[in-house]
Amino acid sequence: MGPPKRGGSNKGEGKTKKRKKEEEEWTYEEDDTNDIDETGEADIPGAAARNAERNDQGVQEDEFGAKDYRSQMTLKTDNASRPLWVAPNGHIFLESFSPVYKHAHDFLIAISEPVCRPEFIHEYKLTAYSLYAAVSVGLQTDDIIEYLKRLSKTTIPDGIVEFIKLCTLSYGKVKLVLKHNKYFVESPFPDVLQKLLKDPVIQECRLRRNIENESEELITQVNINQVQDKKNVVTFGAKPTTSSEGQGDGTTVPDDITNFYEKMDNEEDDEEASLQTVSFEVNQEKIEVLQKRCIELEHPLLAEYDFRNDTINPDINIDLRPSAVLRPYQEKSLRKMFGNGRARSGVIVLPCGAGKSLVGVTACCTVRKRALVLCNSGVSVEQWKQQFKMWSTADDSMICRFTSEAKDKPMGCSILVTTYSMITHTQRRSWEAEQTMKWLQEQEWGIMVLDEVHTIPAKMFRRVLTIVQSHCKLGLTATLLREDDKIADLNFLIGPKLYEANWLELQKRGFIARVQCAEVWCPMTPEFYREYLVCKTSKRLLLYVMNPNKFRACQYLIRYHERRGDKTIVFSDNVFALKHYAIKMNKPYIYGPTSQGERIQILQNFKFNPKVNTIFVSKVADTSFDLPEANVLIQISSHGGSRRQEAQRLGRILRAKKGAIAEEYNAFFYTLVSQDTMEMNYSRKRQRFLVNQGYSYKVITKLAGMEEEPDLFYKTREEQGQLLQQVLAASDIDCEDERIPGEGGAKSGATRRAGHLGSMSGADDAVYYEFKKSNNANKHPLFKKFRY
Amino acid sequence: MKQFLLHLDETLKLGRKFIIQDLDENHLFISGDILDILQAKIDDLMDQISFPLAEKNS
Repeated sequence: MGPPKRGGSNKGEGKTKKRKKEEEEWTYEEDDTNDIDETGEADIPGAAARNAERNDQGVQEDEFGAKDYRSQMTLKTDNASRPLWVAPNGHIFLESFSPVYKHAHDFLIAISEPVCRPEFIHEYKLTAYSLYAAVSVGLQTDDIIEYLKRLSKTTIPDGIVEFIKLCTLSYGKVKLVLKHNKYFVESPFPDVLQKLLKDPVIQECRLRRNIENESEELITQVNINQVQDKKNVVTFGAKPTTSSEGQGDGTTVPDDITNFYEKMDNEEDDEEASLQTVSFEVNQEKIEVLQKRCIELEHPLLAEYDFRNDTINPDINIDLRPSAVLRPYQEKSLRKMFGNGRARSGVIVLPCGAGKSLVGVTACCTVRKRALVLCNSGVSVEQWKQQFKMWSTADDSMICRFTSEAKDKPMGCSILVTTYSMITHTQRRSWEAEQTMKWLQEQEWGIMVLDEVHTIPAKMFRRVLTIVQSHCKLGLTATLLREDDKIADLNFLIGPKLYEANWLELQKRGFIARVQCAEVWCPMTPEFYREYLVCKTSKRLLLYVMNPNKFRACQYLIRYHERRGDKTIVFSDNVFALKHYAIKMNKPYIYGPTSQGERIQILQNFKFNPKVNTIFVSKVADTSFDLPEANVLIQISSHGGSRRQEAQRLGRILRAKKGAIAEEYNAFFYTLVSQDTMEMNYSRKRQRFLVNQGYSYKVITKLAGMEEEPDLFYKTREEQGQLLQQVLAASDIDCEDERIPGEGGAKSGATRRAGHLGSMSGADDAVYYEFKKSNNANKHPLFKKFRY
Repeated sequence: MKQFLLHLDETLKLGRKFIIQDLDENHLFISGDILDILQAKIDDLMDQISFPLAEKNS
């Protein structure tokens, strides 16, 4: 009846999959698992392994692979006015032109994962994780089923109802609440709590205040009648209430649909007030054990922070500036987080450039306790600081940066901004940093904001958690996906996904730029293609990146856009190509070893100097480089088929531009691809995510006007031949993508160099190479493979 | 594409030489009987460098 559990589901997976599994298992060893089973999914509740996907086996398929579900679902008579279908395999299809689209959309975002969202029909999928998330934002099992029934054009297949019940009934029933600095396990369902307390492990975790008193009564009845009137519900900054739902133009909307959603919306607010809650206190040191045990018992604890009633941690004095106006979707996402007057932990997914930082700052201002912001590079630390100063009343004395370059005095500050690697650094630190770390560990943080949360591996994250005590965690990201499937773990490490925005919709409403994506096909020159066919794989990469036709296309595009007055960023993962392109065209470039000072100088120039319209960057700029001016992006080489990288890069130019409505498109995203090479394959692979978000790519086989353009480089055969010689002479290390310290297994990333004065002035590139080469040569080849 | 054919010809991937005359930049004169194998080979190459956009379920 129910969906098949794991075990059987893993048969038939290829060898590669298996290796991945092993790898995952390996990562988990340090995690909270006792019983690592063969699938390596042990640290998540059993229900999460359930999958509705296989519910429809045995259904007839026609010649195109379409499935015939007619026997399982019957069409309702008023189907035209209802917006969606629910297929027995958990996929939901929604008509985006339906009058009730808005309601249905909000609802589906809450209960399911978006799979593919082009213009007219959206596809969603019910998963165990998404249902977990739904429960945690306060939806009840019956409500979900009931509302889904009303929205659906057909009856809901029994299997799906069963699936929803299975996944939601045990979730979200118990909460871990921090009140007056004591941890409580709280639940409105006494029987669930009883069940938990019967477990011996949990009994041990329980904190017994007065031992003589605890004879019979296991549960302390606490009557928390939090009279949460509307006044008490969190308001964000000074904003007009824009949330008035635009009712669907009153055409043929069945009443039950609109009414019900409103009812559900309201319930969220006042359910707390009427319910009687039972709770018991737990020992703070045993939290970890308790959480683990509860997950095993299939009652994952939801972490909530009652920040209003926290009297022990001092309030910090920050507010949003009146000028900070939240956009509707930002507000909506925050409302999910602070839905019942407490702060939930979770992840908010917004496209790059849609104002993630503002959401983070607002969350901090709402909680008004000490805040810790973690991001992944020194530059973004600076940017976060600026964001705080821009949107909130925090000033320099309140914000402390903690990076290798800038160490402000931490004592007495209320917002600490630092990087993941700084916190998890295990080698010796300077005395000063040591002091800061000590201080950091002693503090109890109100909120922890994790920027670009998708980048951190589970292991590193655990280490952060052991160091920092924080009441609630907010993850921010644009792309909740990885090529390995570890992203699902975030659900249980941080919290469920609270909100995910629709890119296309934001684009339509002008919150992010309208981007034209294009793939430019550059034919390989005969000489290069010849070499490409005979040489070994690692060299191939260099050959197709250095393809003279690609170089010319790149140069042409740069010139074209410079004439239009656009600001262009050129991305290249390959350092050899990056340097060559940049030096040849005489443009500034930034890559790993570029110093912080130089980076900032280049970025400043790019922003304000009208003479610097183009910069070359390596993948260090993929995330959290805030370049609001840029509106053209050219990609000459990339990291294999990484969808995330593609999306992150697109994000660099997504910030809404001035004069947004004037043209059809106001930002351009070019990928240069060498024809007939593996690059074509990668490029397709990378585009999947954005295509699923509703973007369409235009393929340009020939750039019009390129032939007329005077003095482009590498026009003649001789020049091309010279380039080929250079490429062939390049060492193996040049063929590889740049490594970023802290990413993957490349530990040699700490770039310490033999220092003499010449290198300060950048005089000796050759020395760098020698050094790097020798450094990497004795690296075991195994490590190369296990990068993401 | 011409380079690909030259490559196949030189490395004897198909078991023998098949190019009769190198005509110009874009044209080769090849023996007719190899055409079928050659087309299959090119299809292979195309498959290799293209990727199905639809999410593939392993």
